[in-house]
Amino acid sequence: MLTDSHCATDTAPPELADAMMSRYVGFAGWLRENGFHVTSSDMAAAMDVAQRTGQFDSLLLRWSLRAWLCSRAEEWRRFDELFDAWFLAPNRHALVETRVGGAGKLTTHGDGTARDSSEGTPLSLVGHGTDAAQADGKTAEHGMSREASLMHADFRHLNQPDELFAIDEAIRRFVQRLRGMQMRRERRAASGRLIDMARTIRLSVAHGGVPLELAWRRKRRVRPRIVMLLDVSRSMSLYSFFFMRLARVISARLSDVHCFIFHTRLVGIAQALRDPDPWRSQERLQLLSAGWAGGTRIGDSLDEFNQRHAAALLHSRTAVMIVSDGYDAGDPAALQHALRRMRRRCRCIVWLNPLAGRPGFTPSSVGMAAAMPYLDLMTGASDLASLERVLPHVLSVLQ
Amino acid sequence: MFTDRMSNVLDLQQRLERHGYIAERSLAATLLLTLEMRRPLLLEGEAGVGKTEVAKALARLSDTRLIRLQCHEGLDVHSALYEWNYQHQLLAIKLLEQDDRPLSSKEQDIFSERYLLKRPLLEAITTTPAPVLLIDEIDRTDEAFEAYLLELLSDFQISIPELGVIRALERPIVILTSNGTREISDALRRRCLYHYVDYPDFGKELAIVRAQAPEMPAKLAQQVVEFVQAVRQLDIQKKPGIAETLDWAAALLRLGVSTFDEEGIDRIMDSLSTLVKTRDDQAGFTRPVVERLAAAC
Repeated sequence: MLTDSHCATDTAPPELADAMMSRYVGFAGWLRENGFHVTSSDMAAAMDVAQRTGQFDSLLLRWSLRAWLCSRAEEWRRFDELFDAWFLAPNRHALVETRVGGAGKLTTHGDGTARDSSEGTPLSLVGHGTDAAQADGKTAEHGMSREASLMHADFRHLNQPDELFAIDEAIRRFVQRLRGMQMRRERRAASGRLIDMARTIRLSVAHGGVPLELAWRRKRRVRPRIVMLLDVSRSMSLYSFFFMRLARVISARLSDVHCFIFHTRLVGIAQALRDPDPWRSQERLQLLSAGWAGGTRIGDSLDEFNQRHAAALLHSRTAVMIVSDGYDAGDPAALQHALRRMRRRCRCIVWLNPLAGRPGFTPSSVGMAAAMPYLDLMTGASDLASLERVLPHVLSVLQ
Repeated sequence: MFTDRMSNVLDLQQRLERHGYIAERSLAATLLLTLEMRRPLLLEGEAGVGKTEVAKALARLSDTRLIRLQCHEGLDVHSALYEWNYQHQLLAIKLLEQDDRPLSSKEQDIFSERYLLKRPLLEAITTTPAPVLLIDEIDRTDEAFEAYLLELLSDFQISIPELGVIRALERPIVILTSNGTREISDALRRRCLYHYVDYPDFGKELAIVRAQAPEMPAKLAQQVVEFVQAVRQLDIQKKPGIAETLDWAAALLRLGVSTFDEEGIDRIMDSLSTLVKTRDDQAGFTRPVVERLAAAC
């Protein structure tokens, strides 16, 4: 009897430690599943933190783990409920369910494969019979509506190789021109070269320490920043994917590019586009795409941009590139107001309208007419060929 | 009944308060972890929520120097880490020409610490006792500079080609702040603890106002804070931070406001410029709006 109980107490601690270990490591895995950036070293560290803070004070444990495992504001906001879901057993199940039902949890792969069999053409969107009508070239004005669509877009074609190469080639040329372009600020600042002392001294060694040859410090080059605002509402559905691909290529090639999509509200997609893993990128976009191909409220979306991002993103070297057909269900005055405010802060606004390439196009839609006074360039671009024609104009405006 | 750990956290919270910073308990817990593990802490949050103050309070509390690196676009190694004092080096070369010592020892002399200008980051790791290093608005620098920081923040060392690797004598307490102007790289985030500083809730803000403006009547302080909290709920471009609240409170005191009555509202209208700082927002704050807000306080 005695030996038995003795054995039991002996073996209990390691089991407990194991259980604890799996609990914390499991938690880190759970966070990762929910889109957190958690590495395996973080998991070990989480264990360490837990031991340090003591595991019996749930508040302290929560705060300490949060400081360790979060690395950005959106993770910070979601941490608490994930912590509850994992460590407070009764909540757990219910919460997982609400997450899957709501906009939170990643859409499962099963969903994707189901679409795979039903959809063939690259530009079609799931579950809309009217796509065929639009493919005829009549972009649907009736698609204009105030409601956000609850549908998620299918992003499988985002990484399709064939067109991607062609776009990449065009953008490579564009970026090269952009790099070589001399901005006004640089032209004006031609005077006042600075001596590079380190290199001058190196050069002076050959002359016995007399700095005969001077080396000049090279100026840091400042490049324009590009902010892309893509309209992904229903009336644009024919072109949205093309421009998404364009955005993905541009973000890969240039560092200072910031992309947003908008329909009835505005969503930042720069992070998702830049994800080096194409599958993760797709999943993240799928998450963000709630409302894809719904109604349009351009004015409200741009206003949201002004409110939340303009202060941080727009400066005197920013070029804002709006891609939209201008069919706006919102108030044109709101659009005008938003553009006026935006124009005051940035270098230029370029509006790419996929419809404008057509013969006989006039910017007659209410939204377009309202926007015109504030644009530096309004031009058509609906496919690669027209885009290549347009890019030199865009460059000349940027200059 | 608190655990030991919790009492440590409470103790730190109280000490911070004594040094003029009112922190939530969760922030105190994070700071305790920062102090213990000497891992950099990344603070994010809107402008004016008191991120920079955290570093200042920590420096006062641990009675060490605060070394501040204000980041800006185009910040480079020369102004952040170190630079050779070239003018002095050139002079020294001239003077050493008459010297008979062998060349190698002359060279050692020229590239010695005497001719090294320490910029904030190098200074932070060579100072004892360990200072508090505040890297302010890290999001304003470019990605290239972030990469320089990685070595410093993970190993607390700086390599200078001519001198070798300089290791930190003691690990400084590093606080980074960011307003989210630019997304910071994951590599940098991974090396830091993280805390998001939100706008303060009513209780915290009231405590701050009481601490910073002790001469203000209790009732007025309460009304001021309620008013500001209500303003933050509005749909405006630039929400007032704590600094704005304090400015406004000081302005009201100076204008002799004691309560939010008819005359008080006149004074509020006069002093709104301390609270609302863009033209569009100011246009929105008409008298009826202010009256409505003040009535609710």
